Amino acid sequence: MRYVLRKLAQTIFVVVVVTFLTSIALRFLPGGNDVVVALRTGPGATPEQTAKVIEELGLDKPLLTQYFSWMKDFVTGDWGTTFRTNQSIAAEVKRAMPVSVYLMIYGQILALGIAVPTAVWSAYKQNSRFDRAATTSAFAMLSMPNFIVAPLLILFFSVNNKWFPYPSIYRSVWDSPIDHFKAFALPTLTIAIPLYAGYMRVLRSDMIGTLQNDFITTARAKGVGTGQMLFKHALRPSMFSLVTSAAVNVGALMGGVVIVEQIFSLNGMGRLTVESVFGREYPTVQYCVVILAIIYIFINLFVDLAYAWIDPRVRASRALG
Amino acid sequence: MTDIKVITDENAPEVPLVASDAPKRIKVKRRGRVTKWLAIAWLAFVTISAIGANSLPYLKNSCESNDKLCSTAVKGNLRISQLPPTWAFFADSPAKPVVGSPTHLGAMGTDKNGFDLFTRAMLGARNSLIIAGLAITFGLAIGTFLGMVAGYFRGWADTFIENLSNVLLAFPALLLAIFLVTFFNEPDTTGSANTRPLWPIILALVILSIPPLTRLVRANTIAYAQRDFVVAARSVGAKSSRILFKEILPNIVPTLITFALAGLAILIVAEGALAFLGLSVEAPVPTWGAMIAAGSEPLRNGAWWIALMPALVMFLTVLSINLLGDVLAQRFNSREAIG
Repeated sequence: MRYVLRKLAQTIFVVVVVTFLTSIALRFLPGGNDVVVALRTGPGATPEQTAKVIEELGLDKPLLTQYFSWMKDFVTGDWGTTFRTNQSIAAEVKRAMPVSVYLMIYGQILALGIAVPTAVWSAYKQNSRFDRAATTSAFAMLSMPNFIVAPLLILFFSVNNKWFPYPSIYRSVWDSPIDHFKAFALPTLTIAIPLYAGYMRVLRSDMIGTLQNDFITTARAKGVGTGQMLFKHALRPSMFSLVTSAAVNVGALMGGVVIVEQIFSLNGMGRLTVESVFGREYPTVQYCVVILAIIYIFINLFVDLAYAWIDPRVRASRALG
Repeated sequence: MTDIKVITDENAPEVPLVASDAPKRIKVKRRGRVTKWLAIAWLAFVTISAIGANSLPYLKNSCESNDKLCSTAVKGNLRISQLPPTWAFFADSPAKPVVGSPTHLGAMGTDKNGFDLFTRAMLGARNSLIIAGLAITFGLAIGTFLGMVAGYFRGWADTFIENLSNVLLAFPALLLAIFLVTFFNEPDTTGSANTRPLWPIILALVILSIPPLTRLVRANTIAYAQRDFVVAARSVGAKSSRILFKEILPNIVPTLITFALAGLAILIVAEGALAFLGLSVEAPVPTWGAMIAAGSEPLRNGAWWIALMPALVMFLTVLSINLLGDVLAQRFNSREAIG
């Protein structure tokens, strides 16, 4: 219990510091309030108009007051509207969130689904032809940023063969499942390739270490089959680094993969955040940042639980502490 | 050759870890040497071409006969826009070919403005390499200093540095980069062609690279700070600065070199990502990321080379750097320190 409380206090501190720094940094962007006013009224606003807009948006108050009133809005759930178009910020976030969530889930499933069997088999048949092909290709994939992967995929799957639409048009799963999956196929693949490479390398090297343990030899001696030995005995203790990096990636992907979203014209969290920065939508940026921070907290919690599941000794030491 | 067959044989021992260890060593080493030299050759080629990008000889010679069609990065020619590379006999230009102009041109083709892509890729290499190289140099210098201070003195300095890097790490990296880059770029109100300075983006990358580097150096310093030779130096009355720079630093230099290479590759990609979003130096000065971004629209019309050729150059460069880093890490046997 004390452990949970301390963690909670720590994370709240980080959230407050990060959002506060964001709000300060936003205000110091070049142009400042002039840009906000210009974006709202169009060029050539009179001084009276400017003053009115600034007062309306509450930008004339001191920074701290603005920050606290933002925080109050966040906690009470009344998120207000965007500066420029007067749309509800909550609606904007609600529109962007599913795109990021789908991308993250599909990407992770695809990457883990391929990486785990590949890594396990690579580690088991270390230095076999399969292993060398797998490690070499993973190494190459790690050097391929997503803005290189995406044009390649678009060329092969959308331009040369019109299998998938480009740019992707977001459809909900419930409305039209086929269009939904078609739209997400290429972005998912773009995301999954580097993820796969990272997971595969991490799990393979951990697995090689695990396979040298005595308990594997014991299991072998008892007559446990290869599949059971690999997936029941060896996989679980080899998963520490994999779980950590997968969890970190959940956070990173939820923050949005701006470049992938931009290439495929998907409106996810990443694009919302970046465009809000350029549009000087101060509150929207802060909401995005705080949502991300909260996701990070939950991920950390999940990782801790996962560690306890992987290695019961973690559970024991925590119970004592 | 026979060695390899033994390993891949179906009858290989069920637990191959011990059995296949010996032949593997030889194989890996031999393979590593070839790829290492390939990587070095490619990096040397890119570096030399980047330095001499303004007077690339490969182009001048090929088009001296017909000066009108000669394309350089600074002198575009719309008559030769969107031409596929010479070797791509299967590709056609999506634009209507102008009578009397070639159908294929150069090692990498031309872009929409008739710029030669190879020349531009090498000009881009100049920017990308300078930005990433300077950023990793400064980042490593500052990170090493902070990490050594934190790891050697511990106490309040350690706590302070740790908290500082925690806050930096908790901050979304992309937002931080956007803030820094836009903050230091004066808003362009005059509408004239502006070339943005290099240093804001270098600064952004330096700040992003400091926290992880500090952590890594700190961990390495702690490992050495308790060693006997450090204790001995301290007991004969060596000053802290002497211990840090003469005793500990030389020992972590191999690790630093591998960090530098890994970091260089990461920063080249990061710079590419920022350039892709239009946040790096602006046209007419190209960087790889901006070139790939500019090529994604013609890609739809089938002009694949405009995006994929710079992408290939970037991929090979990053791959080479990663390969070298891997080779060095194996040689220094400092893999644990990285992972």
